[in-house]
Amino acid sequence: MRRAVVWGIVVAFLLAVAVAHADITLTNASGESITFTEEELGTIAASGEKPFEGITITVTVNQGGPKGGISGPLYEWRDAWEQITGAKLNIVEIPYAEHYPKVMTDLMTGTGQYDGFFIGSDWMGELVAGEYIIPIDDYMKDPRFPKWDPDSLPPSIRTLYTWGDKWYGPLNDCDGQILYYRKDILTNPDYRAKFKEQYGYEYNIPPKTWDELYDISEFFNGWDWNNDGEPDSGIVMHLKVGAQGMYHYASLSAPFCILPGEKVDKYHNVYWFDPEDMTPLINSEGHVKALEFQLKLQKTGPDAQVAWSLGEAWDYFLRGKAVFTFSWGDVGSLVQDETRSKIKGKLGCSILPGSYEVYDRSQGKFVRFDTPNVWGNTTGGSWHGVISALSKHPEVVYHLLAFHATNKISLWNVQRGWTGVDPGARFHFLPPYGTASLDDYVANGFDPEDAKEYLKAYYDNFFAPNIAPYLRIPGGNEYWVALDRHLSEAYTGQVSAKEALDRVARDWEDITNRYGREEQLKVYQESIGYGK
Amino acid sequence: MRRKRIKYFFLFPSIFWVLAFTIFPLVYSLSLTFFRVRLGKPARFVGLANFARILSDYKMWHSLRITLVYVAVTVTLQVILGLLIALLFHQEMRGKSLFRALLILPIFCTPVAVGYLGLTVFYEEGGPINSILMSLFGTKIPWLSNPFWAWMAILLLDIWQWTPFCFLVILAGLQSLPEEIYDAAYLDSSSEWEIFRKITFPMVQPVIVIVLLLRLIESFKIFDVVYSLTGGGPGTSTEVYSLFTYRTGLKFFDFGYASVLGYLLLAMVSVAVNIFFRRIREVYG
Repeated sequence: MRRAVVWGIVVAFLLAVAVAHADITLTNASGESITFTEEELGTIAASGEKPFEGITITVTVNQGGPKGGISGPLYEWRDAWEQITGAKLNIVEIPYAEHYPKVMTDLMTGTGQYDGFFIGSDWMGELVAGEYIIPIDDYMKDPRFPKWDPDSLPPSIRTLYTWGDKWYGPLNDCDGQILYYRKDILTNPDYRAKFKEQYGYEYNIPPKTWDELYDISEFFNGWDWNNDGEPDSGIVMHLKVGAQGMYHYASLSAPFCILPGEKVDKYHNVYWFDPEDMTPLINSEGHVKALEFQLKLQKTGPDAQVAWSLGEAWDYFLRGKAVFTFSWGDVGSLVQDETRSKIKGKLGCSILPGSYEVYDRSQGKFVRFDTPNVWGNTTGGSWHGVISALSKHPEVVYHLLAFHATNKISLWNVQRGWTGVDPGARFHFLPPYGTASLDDYVANGFDPEDAKEYLKAYYDNFFAPNIAPYLRIPGGNEYWVALDRHLSEAYTGQVSAKEALDRVARDWEDITNRYGREEQLKVYQESIGYGK
Repeated sequence: MRRKRIKYFFLFPSIFWVLAFTIFPLVYSLSLTFFRVRLGKPARFVGLANFARILSDYKMWHSLRITLVYVAVTVTLQVILGLLIALLFHQEMRGKSLFRALLILPIFCTPVAVGYLGLTVFYEEGGPINSILMSLFGTKIPWLSNPFWAWMAILLLDIWQWTPFCFLVILAGLQSLPEEIYDAAYLDSSSEWEIFRKITFPMVQPVIVIVLLLRLIESFKIFDVVYSLTGGGPGTSTEVYSLFTYRTGLKFFDFGYASVLGYLLLAMVSVAVNIFFRRIREVYG
């Protein structure tokens, strides 16, 4: 009898432990399931008590629909998240160009219509300086919430999700521009031989400098190298005004104008402004040379690209009409979609090329390096969720954002191109750089060689020794728009490179003066880690 | 006594409407012009600084200049084309009702949709117009990547959409002209041009002036087509005045200066309207 009682207690205990540590399987809108441990999902979800029952939160995101970039994952996992928390999620989609003003209007007027926002990282300065969003450090330590891994982020990405020592958003998207090229075309021995005959040297694959890339792009521009009966292009860029065209310039120009150094000071590791007085550097000699180079490079692509936004330029590359493009992670995963892409399995990727010559402001001249001056970049939005200071339910919003930041959901997003969530955390990368499995990528439609190229290039970019500084100060949007509109004037031949950048500098001075030079300087120094 | 009171009851909604949605915004925006306003921060009195800023703002002058050119070109062409089509439809012809119905369809389109339609029609790589040009002449037009052609695209869309309005109103004017005058005129002259010049045009002129005036006011406010078709580009070549004002106020939250820009537009349109009305009064008593 006593033995039976003991056995009964043991069995009951084991059952209790098993129940307490039961894995939870969640199924998304596409019908795919992921199993989480209790630790991964947090005790709120594991308890099954649905403490957020009756609460509805509203978050804004760039318009894209249920299968669109950044917005898609919210729809995909909405039912599952609502099921484990009891809360309701209201997704408000706002067109890219309207998103920032809508969010800022809500916050600055104190309306508080939205609980959270999926923001571009360049909004951060404005949001933090105005105390419009709240830090999440306390939530991150709380076992009630889903667990995500901030240590998996490279410093380059971590910077975008934090301000000072505080975190403001859990991991979502990691934006940076890398070089995409047609490996099959560049490795073609006939083309290589013809190039050598014409230019007198053999090109590197991938090209090491922008000058080398220009030569290759020029060589391939204007003739039918893919045998489709039409002339093809060397490069394609998205240069339409108001459609993120200026990001191309920001990525390309870095090696021409950022002098690397041990720390961020007046002359080293700065790109946007002089960190001592907020004088714009955008019309300095390095920038002018970079833009002149880009205008030259632009001529080796289709004329229409000055009116193309992302989709049109990407489509041109996916249809196999250009040898090069440089853009965000979306391209790498879209290449795998054979309904849109003709180049699956033919993709090469690398960190953006460098330049042997860089402008040294302390000497007032270009200096030459023995090896190319290469800079990684975090150009783009790195779109991620933040919590409104006006939200009445910040913990519910954090739960949602942390849920999407868990390793399993994050990896699921990265492995599907349409989500717009690009790789950046260590667990997105393949060994020896990370912990992801090539088989998983292949199972989700990636060509194995493409996946290796793509992930290695992103690893090299985000973990590069030099990362170009990112602009995220109050008025950031206005500075970017000024850059965008005047660059477009140069791209369309209305003004010279120097005149366009002089105009940008003039506008930036005006913006800085309106926002207050001293305040801007303080935030700028903080944002670039001046003196560190 | 009761009837006297009830009239106030019926007047109240319209008085409220005018006060709340016309007078208040007008006065409020006027007060904003004297302040540097940023939402969420205390407004700072800057006197006439926002007005003075106009003088040195090359972006504003650029947008104003291209808006004036746009207004002059589109309004002129729309009225001339509208008049010509109205004269055509004023004659006996088969299928007139059907053609008239088809012709006025563009008026019912939302301008922003017209802009997006333009994106498809003027798409440079494989859009319908360039495909036809390529197959016929082996060339294509850089509709949206060249500042001049981007303007052409906007002008074509705007003229396509609003010429029918001019046509419709002028046609109504033509149809209201008394037949007897024409009967008498045909006794004296058989020249159609003579009759048009000396009878039709002078008699329909008041209608044309009104059409001109309405289109003038509307054209100054052009926004939707430009916003959706070119976004103000390439570069800043199509950044019209309303788009510039919108960006200043609702993108960069510079409300004080945006209010000044709004008042400048109001002043320009008011001056134009006044000149027109004065001229109408002079001519027609």
